[in-house]
Amino acid sequence: MDEQALAILQRILRKLPSKKTQRTLRTWGCLSAEQLEDLDFTQPKWLILENLVSKCEENRLRLKDVTKLEMVYHMENPNQGTWHALKLAEAEDEAASVDFTQFKEMFVSHLEDAVQHVSVRMKKQDDGAVWIRTAFGDNLTRPNHLKPTYAVHYLQTPYVFILNLSAKHKPFLYQALVLSTRHSAINEAHLSGRSLTALRDLLMKQYQQVFPNQDRTLKERNAPPSHPNIDKEHVNIAERSHQMACEAFGDGALPKLESAVYKLKTRYRGSSEHTLADRDELFRGVVKFSSTNLLESLRHCVSNSMAEGPVTPLFSSITQQGRNYFVITEKVPEATSQTPACTT
Amino acid sequence: MYYSAVATPANMPMTRRKSYGRSCVENPSVFWQTPGHLTSNRIPTSRRVARSHNITNKVDPEQVALLVKHEWKLAYVTPLYRFQHAQLKRYSKHLTAFIVAEKQQGLAVEVGLETGFKVTLSTVHGMAETEDDAETVFIQIHSKPAFGTGALKTVWHGWLTCVNGDCEYLRSLPPDFVSLPLFCSSGSESLSALVRSWFERSFDCNFGPLFLNSTTLNWLAALWTGCHPSSNIRFLKLNWTMPTQPSLDIMYTVNPQDAWELWNSIHSEDGTDDRIHIDEVRQFMNGLQMHFFRHFKIYLSAGTLMKVSTSLGSAHHEGKIKIGSSDYISTLLTLLTECALQRIPV
Repeated sequence: MDEQALAILQRILRKLPSKKTQRTLRTWGCLSAEQLEDLDFTQPKWLILENLVSKCEENRLRLKDVTKLEMVYHMENPNQGTWHALKLAEAEDEAASVDFTQFKEMFVSHLEDAVQHVSVRMKKQDDGAVWIRTAFGDNLTRPNHLKPTYAVHYLQTPYVFILNLSAKHKPFLYQALVLSTRHSAINEAHLSGRSLTALRDLLMKQYQQVFPNQDRTLKERNAPPSHPNIDKEHVNIAERSHQMACEAFGDGALPKLESAVYKLKTRYRGSSEHTLADRDELFRGVVKFSSTNLLESLRHCVSNSMAEGPVTPLFSSITQQGRNYFVITEKVPEATSQTPACTT
Repeated sequence: MYYSAVATPANMPMTRRKSYGRSCVENPSVFWQTPGHLTSNRIPTSRRVARSHNITNKVDPEQVALLVKHEWKLAYVTPLYRFQHAQLKRYSKHLTAFIVAEKQQGLAVEVGLETGFKVTLSTVHGMAETEDDAETVFIQIHSKPAFGTGALKTVWHGWLTCVNGDCEYLRSLPPDFVSLPLFCSSGSESLSALVRSWFERSFDCNFGPLFLNSTTLNWLAALWTGCHPSSNIRFLKLNWTMPTQPSLDIMYTVNPQDAWELWNSIHSEDGTDDRIHIDEVRQFMNGLQMHFFRHFKIYLSAGTLMKVSTSLGSAHHEGKIKIGSSDYISTLLTLLTECALQRIPV
């Protein structure tokens, strides 16, 4: 095993969570069943690692085997690092019929056209996700396997999720993605977070959504004149705000986003006296909301009347548009419209 | 115990004196039982505009640099009985002996690096603003390496200060008492606890945690924002925490120029009156919260203002501060001295 492969191998082995190590190694499939049985997982981690490395050396594993292990690790732990969502646009007619083999061939050839030294590994998972590991080099250097870029694309959807992409390699990867999926453009989706699953669920609407309920509105309209029972009134209000919160953010477990950022460049809307309301310049600021599970916090906030209803579009846009970065600007300084416009 | 061999002023007279510093009334938080004029003096409704002045003209720049670097944990201290600035050398020795003795407790043999401590107490001249303010005392704990003659490593810093303390209160103290109501520390909590306990035994005083309520944080936000024309504050950052499940943190960073223009539209500096009134501070913060509300419909009043920061400094609800610029240090310390004095049981 050469030095680089050994270094990467040790690095990944150290990262493996102890509970999942055995499963990961089995999925990897580069060690025989006997070799795996031979390992004693009750030993201290450093000793297990030493045994593992010597077994890998026995098997004369090569760099490509090691990068396979790294890929397995990322597939099984998709909550490492910050993922950024991208959206492909302007699909061509053939876009709907691109299959994995075609995509793979085209992606590799487009990337190799653009970058002289590049190493690509690709794997399609059962859920349809295509995992792409790319190690970039440049004209003179070999691919850097210590800083690979990961991309996850669901075929026949416009979504791509990216981990660890440097600005330098961005155009190459974007171009290869656009061409091999038969699209004409790719845009940032302004959505990022640590959980790949959450980003996917949010964009593909794979969480329990609540739609405005016809029954509810009907019930309200035909409600008998309110009984002077304050308790009941309160229950109604609580129910309504809970409904409102669920309509905006979803019901049950919600995709786990860590933050949402709003860049505000809007007219000052503070209290009426002594204001800057007449001012032409806009009032600038940045608001960042963060939590261990942002959507759950916001839902709780709305359903417990810490926020006034209805839910502002600024928040419902997180789920409806699948974004967590917004630039909010006033349309035109002369315009009298006071609604903040959402632009990118 | 070993440290009892060290003679400290407090354990010489063994009888328990009626202490001015300790609480004499049963419930120390009952402010309204004290004479009215005193309490009303202690919670001011206006204060002077923050003015930049180069403190290094008065104070040794090296000492100022020590104050600016760290994040400080705040505490209040009741007046110290028979504390003398002339005795700092002696106190250094006593405190060193005390810490070493405490650290050795329960150990059969002397082991490890931890036992080699050296404490220095020194006066920071020039921090005091009025005649009634006692001079600031700076405490450093160094650990000595076990082997060789390596350099001393500072493991803990702390200081006791009083800046623009309420003169009526300070003058009302009996002559044997020195009031340094604000204690700032940076370093391990175990060392802080030892220092506190030595002061408590030696000078019959009492330490307690100093939290910064939202009124204090609001004052700082306004005072710092007002400094923008003379010293770029770079940002005004306000942090709230909402009691949601899981808790929601909101960080609102306001453009410094816009924050100042809002402040300027509320507080007009006409030269004759260089004071800021609490109403103006409230209007300013309400204005910012209202602007936020108009966008996000969240009632920030349901949450807690946790932190205020600008490039001039930061202050955290849990009683932690950072001093970003020494030019405005006296404004900050005046406010904190006042908070500490308010917390001291009367």
